[in-house]
Amino acid sequence: MIKSKSGISRRNFLKTGAAAAAAGVAGVWATGRKTLTAADSAASAMELDYQNPGRGQWSKLRPKPNYGGASVRYVEHNDEWLGTTQIVGGIKQTREIDSGFSLAIRGLLGEKARWGFLSQSKRYPLTAGFSLGIGVVSEDHVVSGEPAPQKLPIPDPEQMSKHIKDTCYYLRADEVGIGRMPEYAYYSHKHNPPQGAFPAGHADPDAPLVEYPVERSEYLPYVITFAVEQHLETYLASTGYDGISVSQSFRSYHATANIAVILAQYIRSLGYRARASHFGNYQAAMPPALIASGMGEMTRTGDCVAHPRIGFRSKVAAVTTDLPLAPDKPIDFGMLDFCRVCMKCAENCPAQSISFERDPIVYNGYMRWDSDMAKCTAFRAGNDEGVNCGRCLKVCPWNSKEDSWFHEAGIWLGSKGEAASTLLKSIDDIFGYGTEEIQRYKWWLEWPELYKVYAPGQSTPL
Amino acid sequence: MSVVLIFLAGAVFIAAALAIRKRLQARKTGAKILAWILFALLYLAAAVGFSFCYINMSVGHVKATSTAVFLFGGVAVVLAVVLARVLGFIGGAGKPAVSAEKEG
Repeated sequence: MIKSKSGISRRNFLKTGAAAAAAGVAGVWATGRKTLTAADSAASAMELDYQNPGRGQWSKLRPKPNYGGASVRYVEHNDEWLGTTQIVGGIKQTREIDSGFSLAIRGLLGEKARWGFLSQSKRYPLTAGFSLGIGVVSEDHVVSGEPAPQKLPIPDPEQMSKHIKDTCYYLRADEVGIGRMPEYAYYSHKHNPPQGAFPAGHADPDAPLVEYPVERSEYLPYVITFAVEQHLETYLASTGYDGISVSQSFRSYHATANIAVILAQYIRSLGYRARASHFGNYQAAMPPALIASGMGEMTRTGDCVAHPRIGFRSKVAAVTTDLPLAPDKPIDFGMLDFCRVCMKCAENCPAQSISFERDPIVYNGYMRWDSDMAKCTAFRAGNDEGVNCGRCLKVCPWNSKEDSWFHEAGIWLGSKGEAASTLLKSIDDIFGYGTEEIQRYKWWLEWPELYKVYAPGQSTPL
Repeated sequence: MSVVLIFLAGAVFIAAALAIRKRLQARKTGAKILAWILFALLYLAAAVGFSFCYINMSVGHVKATSTAVFLFGGVAVVLAVVLARVLGFIGGAGKPAVSAEKEG
């Protein structure tokens, strides 16, 4: 046998090398999982008692993500793409004061939209209760705050992400995602009073919206987004723009707002920074945060992000944080191809605000369909056939379905390109899905006279 | 309810398969293959159609239920007629070969 000068055979040298490499990998494997626990809890003498979920598991309470049958692939989040949304230039941050309902509050969408938005809780009595709850959790001191001075021990980012997802499911979220927070999603300026204070009656209708900048120091690297479904059976019976429509929204706004403030406070109690963003007090626009956290793709509506399982029949909220997390990747399940050929939302929009153009256009540095958000908001706020509107999400073939093997098959088909999407849309129309109103589920009360919009002191509706 | 339906579907499948097998004993291979393919398609159309109609009806999708009755029902009837003809229940062309031999 040939021996090297050091007196060790080549075979033994290679064996020793392989054993050392294996030991090294095993060491990294073992310590990597505990790195954060050791580093971040140095100040704490407490131990963490947490049994890790299995590798590759989505979370303990939901071991696999539920994409409802859609064929999903993971895509990129970089300077050119946010998921399947193409970025073609610098995206300018927006000001909250220019968002739809803030325009309505300011009267820039007309008097009817203004007083319609401000009186929506009164015009459908069930919504008054939701507004009350949302108003309470919309104050600045509720959505944000200082973290606890001492960090508690936590598992590594991957395990912590699973734990955060489980926390959201525990708090009754239907879908959860974690992403890297795109800076352009933050509003450049917020306003005071917060939006949610107006429908709750916590702010004077004539109170001026005072703008203040969102400081860069408030930009946090991660975003946790979660969705709560709007009630399916209720939408099956509703026109989408009758009295209950506003409660459909507020029911999920209320649920997501509660999750957001509880989750943010939980994270702050762990010693990390966290800020809740919900309908009553957004610090950021939700669509980019949702896409970044793998919660869906942009749709033809222009500002709604559809999830593979529930479409956009949900309301969402978010928590931005510096808690070390392992972000999910954005997803592609063929929604763009589907929206390109479907157009069912545009055909059924009572405000005719959704674009019929085949392809997205450049808008503020990214590609989206040219739907008229001002027209949409003006109709929703000023609707006097009901209160508010969700007709697009009622009729969308992706949204209006109960769980069944054939709807899962349909969603799988719809995620397979334009030809398959055209077929799915035709089948959806043939079977009458989306546009039907199933009377057996119409459980709510209607007061058409209440839906009229009045300016204060006026006896004639606007 | 679903358990009962699945049990019934299995019972119908076995009973039909046994009846067809008996009927096809003395037939040529080509006819046997055709009959089994037709049976599989018929069973599939009937089972899928029944499941589709049952779920849609239970949720309250009236148009989907009625459309599916015509669609899946139509397909199932056509397949059943063709299968019956191949098995010799309808017309003379598909009579079992064994009786033809006896007549000869």
